[in-house]
Amino acid sequence: MKFFDALQRIDRRIIYIVMGLLVIFPLVKPLGLGVSSGPRARTLFDAVDSIPAGRTLLISVDFDPSSMPELYPMLAALMRHAFARDVKVLLCGLWVTGAGLADKAVTEIPPEYGKKYGDDVVYLGWKAGIDAVILGMGENIKNVFPTDYYGHPLDSLRMMNEVVRLRDIPMAVAISAGTPGYTDWLNFAQSRYGLRLGAGVTAVSAADAYPYLQTGQLTGLLAGMKGGAEYEVLVQKKDYSRAYMPAVAAMDSQSLAHVVIMLLVIVGNIAYFATRKRGA
Amino acid sequence: MKRTIPLAIVLTMGITMMVQFFVPHPVSVGYYDLTTRWIRIVGAFALVLGTGSFIMFHSDKVRRRRQGWYYSIISLVALVVTTVIGLGWGIRPGSILQNVIYANFLVPLNASMFAILAFYMASAAYRAFRARTKEAALLLIAAFIVMLGMVPIGASIWGKLPELAEWVLSVPNMAAKRAIIFGVALGGIATSLKVILGIERGWLGGGKQ
Amino acid sequence: MIPFLILLLAAGQTAPPETTAAVLAPPAPPVAVRAFDTPNDAGKSITLRWSAADTLARTWLIERTGPEGPKVIATSEPGETNYLDEEVKDRIRYTYRIAAVAGGDTVWSAPAAAVASTPQFFNTSRVNILIAMVIFFALVVYYIESAKKGKNLFVRRIAGLDAVEEAVGRATEMGKPIVYVPGLGSVADIATIASLNILGEVAKKVAQYDSALLVPNRDPIVYTVAREIVKESYTKAGRPDAFRQDSVFFVTSEQFAYAAAVDGLMVREKPATNFFLGMFWAESLVLAETGATTGAIQIAGTDSVFQLPFFITACDYTLIGEELYAASAYLSREPLLLGSLKGQDYGKMVILLTLVVGSALLLLSKVPALSFFSNILGFFSTR
Repeated sequence: MKFFDALQRIDRRIIYIVMGLLVIFPLVKPLGLGVSSGPRARTLFDAVDSIPAGRTLLISVDFDPSSMPELYPMLAALMRHAFARDVKVLLCGLWVTGAGLADKAVTEIPPEYGKKYGDDVVYLGWKAGIDAVILGMGENIKNVFPTDYYGHPLDSLRMMNEVVRLRDIPMAVAISAGTPGYTDWLNFAQSRYGLRLGAGVTAVSAADAYPYLQTGQLTGLLAGMKGGAEYEVLVQKKDYSRAYMPAVAAMDSQSLAHVVIMLLVIVGNIAYFATRKRGA
Repeated sequence: MKRTIPLAIVLTMGITMMVQFFVPHPVSVGYYDLTTRWIRIVGAFALVLGTGSFIMFHSDKVRRRRQGWYYSIISLVALVVTTVIGLGWGIRPGSILQNVIYANFLVPLNASMFAILAFYMASAAYRAFRARTKEAALLLIAAFIVMLGMVPIGASIWGKLPELAEWVLSVPNMAAKRAIIFGVALGGIATSLKVILGIERGWLGGGKQ
Repeated sequence: MIPFLILLLAAGQTAPPETTAAVLAPPAPPVAVRAFDTPNDAGKSITLRWSAADTLARTWLIERTGPEGPKVIATSEPGETNYLDEEVKDRIRYTYRIAAVAGGDTVWSAPAAAVASTPQFFNTSRVNILIAMVIFFALVVYYIESAKKGKNLFVRRIAGLDAVEEAVGRATEMGKPIVYVPGLGSVADIATIASLNILGEVAKKVAQYDSALLVPNRDPIVYTVAREIVKESYTKAGRPDAFRQDSVFFVTSEQFAYAAAVDGLMVREKPATNFFLGMFWAESLVLAETGATTGAIQIAGTDSVFQLPFFITACDYTLIGEELYAASAYLSREPLLLGSLKGQDYGKMVILLTLVVGSALLLLSKVPALSFFSNILGFFSTR
């Protein structure tokens, strides 16, 4: 019975090592479990796919480095999708610590499609005052962001001549790790200016976004790493991109991590019942 | 006096902000903007106090050689280096602050802290998830369905599992959450009312005088 | 001829086949064009509504005539039948007309009646909120008054709060400190205010028992308030000399750096008790699990529904949602605070009744003869 006692109290360091190894293993040697895309990701994909070429997709980067592994793949896949279809991309953010992440995306992704900063993509940066920023953008983007993130006046950027205010944008996607995030875009941009809005959220907060899908306020939703992976698969299936798919690669790790936790819980329970019977 | 002034400010501001919610007139909108701007300004002053506390706390720890005092040296050095770089070379894109401190320190450090969650979830789940009662057993089954349904491996075990997981999340889970949220919202309003009316004075340092 | 054919082919690539029909028959002008001052707003806005007379129009043109003369201000998609003009000045009269455009034809509607925009003093769409607020406030105030008159009010046991006394006592026996994390929210969050209220009670007990208290802060304003509260509580407990300036301190406003610092603090100091009360985000489990490994008794509480499961898993006691708000009433047993709890419960009852009635009305409104119920339902929605 000592065996079950030991199983009840596995040293946490052993758990951590097993977890660590099983997360790293599929990253080095993918298992290829495959990702099938659910209806929510597909709705968002179809909505972005129906933006006419030459129009603009707004992406709000509302996350910081801590949720980067989970949410950045969504940002990259969305931008690739837009550029492959000659849709322009306008970026902004409600999180000051996310500014560098949007900058990274703007530097790395447009060149893959031969897109030029100022003509096909603009990054507005971050401004304090969440609701004031969104409402201001509804009136005139230049009032809120006289210059972009890099200090260029908006008038000097060709793309910004066609995009004066939120009504000139057929669709927006808010990628949010919490508050401020997509709910602010819903409250201020969607309800007031009728902006069509999709969202990307962390897995833990996904259930909170479901009601907005039911009411039709949100057009599509990417939930956590899986949502990112689903979008990457959709983008690749239509041959919009051949880039490495970090979220798809991470899904194998996540699958194994979930299995490990479940096995641990099962082992713990077996040991618990075995020792309890003995006690009784 | 030390209590009357804060209570008077809270009462006035609380009532005017409540009225503001129902008045769409530009005067009211202007008042709201002004107030939120003031909150930010007051916040900036508090940051000075915070920084003061930070310096005092850590320098005291180093001076008295308290346990882990060497970490305090790192904290103080980080504060000085970040401030000097930020003031000296600016915070614009492409600056040292962005390229070195943000990209090479803040991003990996934050991501590492967040990643620790995966390990902690495993150890916490292993330790705490025991089917001690019928309710706990039910919760465990629901947790297994969601955990499997949310990753590709679940779909390869049983095609309907992702759907079942979604159902668990969006129906029973949502119902329970909403119940908590109702309570939270009402509790929040009641607490605000108590603070505005000066019944709740804990934030002034404890009960009635 | 050939250039004309190319042009036709090119046109065929972008425009749907109905265009040919549109070229033949011009579209009918839009009807029922109405312009009115946008209700419940801060002015500088006029709303336009119209109906399409047929399905031939490819786009709508919107023309405004003001003091500066007529000007086409926007084009909109054929599916749209309303427009919000937010480039108008207050108290100036404007007229509008809308054109249906198809192929080379532009057919204008009759102008809508002239209208001026004005700001409103009361948002009528929020009457429902006002009524709900008045009912709720009345309930809370009524029960506070009855509590003042000495009516005995029952509050159910909250295990997490009963444990506070024991937790503080344990720290004294062990000679170890108590770590109190007032959450990562700002002072504007109700959870933070509730947490600060509890901090006052905990600090009083700590002073009485002569234990050590450590309060790391993430928000600089919360830090200043927390410091005053702890100081005041020590004074109230008759131990102002025992208050140590460095027991309440500011750590950093960076979320995970804060979590790392508090983790480090717990690992080094091995506290007897940890309190995690207030607003928490993803760091909740990072804090609670580290605390659990150091062997401390842990009392957590938050109104953040996402983080509750983590606290319940890793802590000994967890205050769920409003239990956190009720804590200061529970701990201080002050009748006024207890009275407001009672009012809150009746408020919840009103909400439950509203939900039942609302659901019943929604179901009934699906019966064709009872569809007028859907008008009543509109009253419950907010804007």
